[in-house]
Amino acid sequence: MIGNIFDLLVVNPMTNILLLLYGLLGQSFVLSIVVLTLLIRLITLPLTFKQQVSAAKMAAMQPRIKEIQEKYKNEPAKVQSELRRIGFSPLSGCLPLVIQFPVLIGLYQAIVRTLSLTPLSLLELGRYVYDFLPNLSQLVPINGTFLGFINLGSTNHTASFYAIPILVVVTTWLSSKVMQAPSADPTTAQTNQMMTMTMPLMIGFFSLSTPIGLGMYWIASNMIGVLQYYVTKPRMDAIKAQYAVEHSAAGVSAAKAVVDAAKPVAAPPRAKVKAKSTGRINQSASRKDKEK
Amino acid sequence: MKLLQKLGQPVSIVALGVVTATLLAACGGGGETPPSSFPGLTVADGAAYLASNQHVHKFNPATGKELWRYPAIGQTFPSGEVHGPFAGEPLRFKDWVIVGGTIGSNGIPDARLYAFDDKAGTAAWTWSVPGTTEQERREFADGVVTDGKLIFAANGNGTLYALDPASMEGSTPKLVWQFTTGNKLWSRPLVLDGRVYQSSLDHKLYALDAATGKEIWNYQAGASIASTPVIADGVLYFGAFDGYFHAVDAASGVEKWKSPVDAWVWTRATLVGKTVYFGDTKGRFYALNTADGSRRYTSTLGGSIHAQPLLDKQSLYVVSTDTFVYVLPQDGSGEVVAQRLSDSGYLRRLTAAPAVYEGALLLPLFDGDVKLTAIRLENRIKVFDLLLATATPVPAAP
Repeated sequence: MIGNIFDLLVVNPMTNILLLLYGLLGQSFVLSIVVLTLLIRLITLPLTFKQQVSAAKMAAMQPRIKEIQEKYKNEPAKVQSELRRIGFSPLSGCLPLVIQFPVLIGLYQAIVRTLSLTPLSLLELGRYVYDFLPNLSQLVPINGTFLGFINLGSTNHTASFYAIPILVVVTTWLSSKVMQAPSADPTTAQTNQMMTMTMPLMIGFFSLSTPIGLGMYWIASNMIGVLQYYVTKPRMDAIKAQYAVEHSAAGVSAAKAVVDAAKPVAAPPRAKVKAKSTGRINQSASRKDKEK
Repeated sequence: MKLLQKLGQPVSIVALGVVTATLLAACGGGGETPPSSFPGLTVADGAAYLASNQHVHKFNPATGKELWRYPAIGQTFPSGEVHGPFAGEPLRFKDWVIVGGTIGSNGIPDARLYAFDDKAGTAAWTWSVPGTTEQERREFADGVVTDGKLIFAANGNGTLYALDPASMEGSTPKLVWQFTTGNKLWSRPLVLDGRVYQSSLDHKLYALDAATGKEIWNYQAGASIASTPVIADGVLYFGAFDGYFHAVDAASGVEKWKSPVDAWVWTRATLVGKTVYFGDTKGRFYALNTADGSRRYTSTLGGSIHAQPLLDKQSLYVVSTDTFVYVLPQDGSGEVVAQRLSDSGYLRRLTAAPAVYEGALLLPLFDGDVKLTAIRLENRIKVFDLLLATATPVPAAP
């Protein structure tokens, strides 16, 4: 039942969009994967941005959190209530990722389904092609080769000299390296460093047993992620600066106030952000003066 | 708590990727590797042959007693050598049972034809698709056919091969001719009166000279053709992925009529008198007049219909991937309500054509360890299961 709903709402639309793109983009399946990945990244940009803002907020709170944990180290309940009071919510960073999770799974299934590597998968594809989109059936089976010799449906990487798994490892490493926030906490920094090294290897290992077309998706997704990071970096830097100032200047009350900063989803131009941030900090400062 | 704090870090995106990859890798499930191509069942000379995923079985169709299987239990091969999986209806020819290899769980096909000794179940000979690359050496998805002299084998590389087992070259039959089309061949050809009719996913149906492989004509549909045509009174009937069921003159390749349908048609049709029966990939079933393609009746089943409908005593038995066997009348009009042979279904996708033997329906199952179930049609009670795990085969010689 849940599988059917997931199929109906996520996998089927993605499958048909992939086919549509395949027809529009000169019947290049790799290009279709790249464009669909880009579209999905754009649609989920608000969630990604929210997650990044939340991560920046949590990072800015670290000194304050450490302080509370030290202060109430024998009172776990008090630690919880104090963390709640300053607006600490670790799951707020996870939620956007959790929402993106079905999208990732759906895209994976759509790629496999559209590739139709086997007679069974082609038969199944026949159930899901939309009748109202003209000419999709003419495109089937899709040309599953890339550069004339790489079979996108194959899990045999020897023909392509393991280029795809290697690129998966490199781009995943690059992506995690670029997006990793520096941490003042040595333990966190060490953990991050370890994850940056091991995760790409693990994903590369998984890509050895999945079709090459999926490796292409991982590579495209990583590269688009890096690009997206650099596009949104000015906005993120402004927000991080804002949090850092607020936490050092306004303490607990400011920490609560910045929760609102995570709400805007569209990144305004850098100049506007700076002006907005300055205004907010000034408001916090004037509030602090009033309290005094 | 510290872990949760870390989840707020960007590196958790990578962690998400790992979790995703793990879940996706686990999606394959346990037990026998899921099959990639459709099983095939043949009943001939009082014996039944089933090519299903990792094994080929010969069994008694009345009792379900397995006579042999290939590979036999405990049979081992040199390191790295893969035999199977197998798909399509086995061909009983001379003293052999001929079956094609298909796509393995790693996506790599076994591009060989196997001829098993009918008595012992050992491989009498194998024939390997020429070539060295993965593109050249593809699967045999739907078995092979014969005209009594040559064996015709359609491969996923887009080439139809004609082999002569009477002229062996060393330990393999001689390749007489080959004909290459523009895309995959995932259905076996129809051979009749010196001609071979082969459908291709390149949107065409080809008529070839059976002796030479020379093209006589081709007919272009609007999309891939994956069904083997059937013939009556000089007219070929077949479905395509273009939303039409086609009738084509076998002599000239000229279209006689085409009738619109709701989805792709992969089924090999069943011809009875002046009616042609078939299903589509969205679970609709059709009975059309052979004269002009007009509808006698339609019915809405479930799942996808791949296998050829089976006629037995004025009833049609149609299997579907939704695990049900549907019973339809030979005659009807308008929209006909299909009956289910069993209300609970058979718990496995059904993609291969069943057969009837001594009043029992032999039903190949697509997934899982039970490879075939037999149901007595008069009372709908199960007669036997052919089990992968508990069978007691005669060991084959290494």
